[in-house]
Amino acid sequence: MSYSLNEVEATAKRATRGAGYGWGMAEESGRATRWLCAQGLDGASELVRVLERGFAGSVADHMPSGGNTDWTGARDLCPLMTGAALSDWSDLLRAGPIRIERLARPMILIPFAAFAARCLNTVVTVRSGDFSAATDGAQLAIENECPAVAAQVLVTAGGSLTNPSALQSRATPDPAAWDMLNRFAHRTYAPATEESRLLGAGAGLSDND
Amino acid sequence: MTNPPHIARRDPATVMRLSRLGALHQCRLSFMRQLTRRMARENWTFSRPAFEIDETGVGHAVYTAQGPNHAYSLVAFAHDLSPEQRSDRVIAEAWDATFALFDGIPSAADIQRLSQNVPLQEAGRVSEAELSLSRANRSVRLWAHVVDRLASGQQPDLDQIYKVGYLMRTTAVYGSGKFGAADREKIADRPETSGPFQAEMLSVYLTRVFVRDLVQHMARVKGGGQAVQLDPEIAKWLGIGNSTGLGMAPFIVNHPILFNNWIMAREEAIAKVRSIDKATAGEVAQFRQIFERSKLSVSWWRSEHPIQIEKLAALNTDLCAISEYLDQADLTKNQPWNQLILWAQNALSEEGQELLASLILEPYGELVDDLAGGMADSNAGAQVIDGAIPVGKVRDLIRGSFNWALDLNWNAAEHCARAWYVSEEKLEPRLGERFDEPIADYEQPLAPARDAALAFRALADWPDDTPIAEFLLRHPEHRHTVRRAQMSCVAPYGEIRDNTISAEVLPIDMLRAKLSFFGATHFDPRSDRWVRICMYSGAPYPEDLTDQNADLWVYPELAS
Repeated sequence: MSYSLNEVEATAKRATRGAGYGWGMAEESGRATRWLCAQGLDGASELVRVLERGFAGSVADHMPSGGNTDWTGARDLCPLMTGAALSDWSDLLRAGPIRIERLARPMILIPFAAFAARCLNTVVTVRSGDFSAATDGAQLAIENECPAVAAQVLVTAGGSLTNPSALQSRATPDPAAWDMLNRFAHRTYAPATEESRLLGAGAGLSDND
Repeated sequence: MTNPPHIARRDPATVMRLSRLGALHQCRLSFMRQLTRRMARENWTFSRPAFEIDETGVGHAVYTAQGPNHAYSLVAFAHDLSPEQRSDRVIAEAWDATFALFDGIPSAADIQRLSQNVPLQEAGRVSEAELSLSRANRSVRLWAHVVDRLASGQQPDLDQIYKVGYLMRTTAVYGSGKFGAADREKIADRPETSGPFQAEMLSVYLTRVFVRDLVQHMARVKGGGQAVQLDPEIAKWLGIGNSTGLGMAPFIVNHPILFNNWIMAREEAIAKVRSIDKATAGEVAQFRQIFERSKLSVSWWRSEHPIQIEKLAALNTDLCAISEYLDQADLTKNQPWNQLILWAQNALSEEGQELLASLILEPYGELVDDLAGGMADSNAGAQVIDGAIPVGKVRDLIRGSFNWALDLNWNAAEHCARAWYVSEEKLEPRLGERFDEPIADYEQPLAPARDAALAFRALADWPDDTPIAEFLLRHPEHRHTVRRAQMSCVAPYGEIRDNTISAEVLPIDMLRAKLSFFGATHFDPRSDRWVRICMYSGAPYPEDLTDQNADLWVYPELAS
């Protein structure tokens, strides 16, 4: 089925919150997932694989050290946390590359590289082994398969955007992944109770008038 | 002679209080008026390619509006609804009528597809070809009255029409990609839909035509040869109602830049008019005439809710005071509009002050209407946090919007009594009692003031010159607050300067603020979190729309 990008963003945001991240990270995740889908990639599947890792339960272990240009964590780095940090620290890319060790699902880092590219007004390239992704913020050119976990990722300002993929206005996520996202999202919905039904929306008056 | 200094926009600390937002009135920049002015100016044409409704009132109709470059079609489905199913809430599952706004002219296959989905609303799916999805329920009493009267060869009673204002009220109008519809990006670059909610306003405008035609059809079915045609002069006063619950309140909190742009446009318009040194006799006459017409509109405004009854009493007192002022004032010189606004600050309730602030814009379309162009949010970059901004600057920004909130005891029950949440029942947005209901774990981020106070405290020990990115690495839980603080640089009117989770909060204030920008009138709260309004009452129908009547229809004028 085809979904609007707004639906993707809203669902990804709720799912990320449902998986235990804060609202600010959930907003980042929604925008990142939408961005991937706009590039014709299955952002929903990528996000589900991140949320299933359960990083939000021990955030400190999966956060990059930050501040310098060699980023490591106690364990595999969460690409949402690392991506947000990359976007926040995009200024560092002006001086040289950022090296990231042991990054889970590096595909999720790419939208954040795009946000950095927009701020720097330049192409930003993400490389890991023979995989590379170059983006100017709006468009993306990918070469080779993106690994599930990257031993090392190099993010640099610069690179060329050859044969970028066409932008999509709709998303067609894998149905199983979409279903999982909705299950994560469901955790943010309060269970139905009679009291809530009667009082929560302020009804009680008849509408049959 | 030097020009007097330009008067500054009003302080956000004044404008963004909830009680004032809950007293806002429509103005020249309202979205319905933007649309009708444009359609008249551009000579839009309208047609009804289908009206296939049977004798029981079930079937479909299509209404097409053709602009200079694009056509838009309302596809309407009429249903036979049993009274016990009639509910305005999100949790309803059936309606008197359901609608989609189709981008272009639908084929038979499109209508077939929509007929299987649109009547289901949230439980169905629409596609990228649709721009909005909506539904409406009858005002049971007025519907029966109008059908019965027309069927028996009589015209309906105008007093009843003034009292209710509409034959049907919409209970949700979904746009921007909801339930599979096209994302806003699809239409954001078209001149006619670049402004906020223009597609939704068009859908409601066409819905009004459909409802008029449907009531006529039902009267003919009932009365046969005895039935008469609804007098166009009476039909004009039939608007479309809207019944709105809590969904709109999160919207204005979740879109601080968009909401800022609405408020900022109106505040800039007010400041421009206040800065005018001298008014011509023609401008003054126009203002006086519009004021008289707005008094007539207020006289039709009914509410049974104690809060609105009190506000209406104050507004009526204000109208008398304004009349007295206008009887004595020379409005042609000495910054007359500024004098009027300054007088109002001490003499009138917030209802009266905001009514006047909207009314002074009326003679000055050429000066202020262009501000409508800045009311959309095209600043996607503002979502990206600038991590290089130092802690001290973020602290200043938080103080700028929330200084009043920083010393509040946010653990005290009265300051955090409520929590906003989404129910798993059709995802209905609700507001609950934090200490009485098991809802705190599901709280939505709709208390920016409390969250700002928490972030401010967490920032206390951080040096002023540390980049905020470093703080966010340790405190990702404050990320949404830091983002909002940075947005406030470009959006001074983006934050509500009140506690949105206090025991005293009135969500209807937030609903009214949003609805006033749509151009709604006759706000009628049904509870502290539910409001009914009227849209397009007095507006010309498509066949009558001209440059002469496309704008000021919101101010009623009795036929002489």
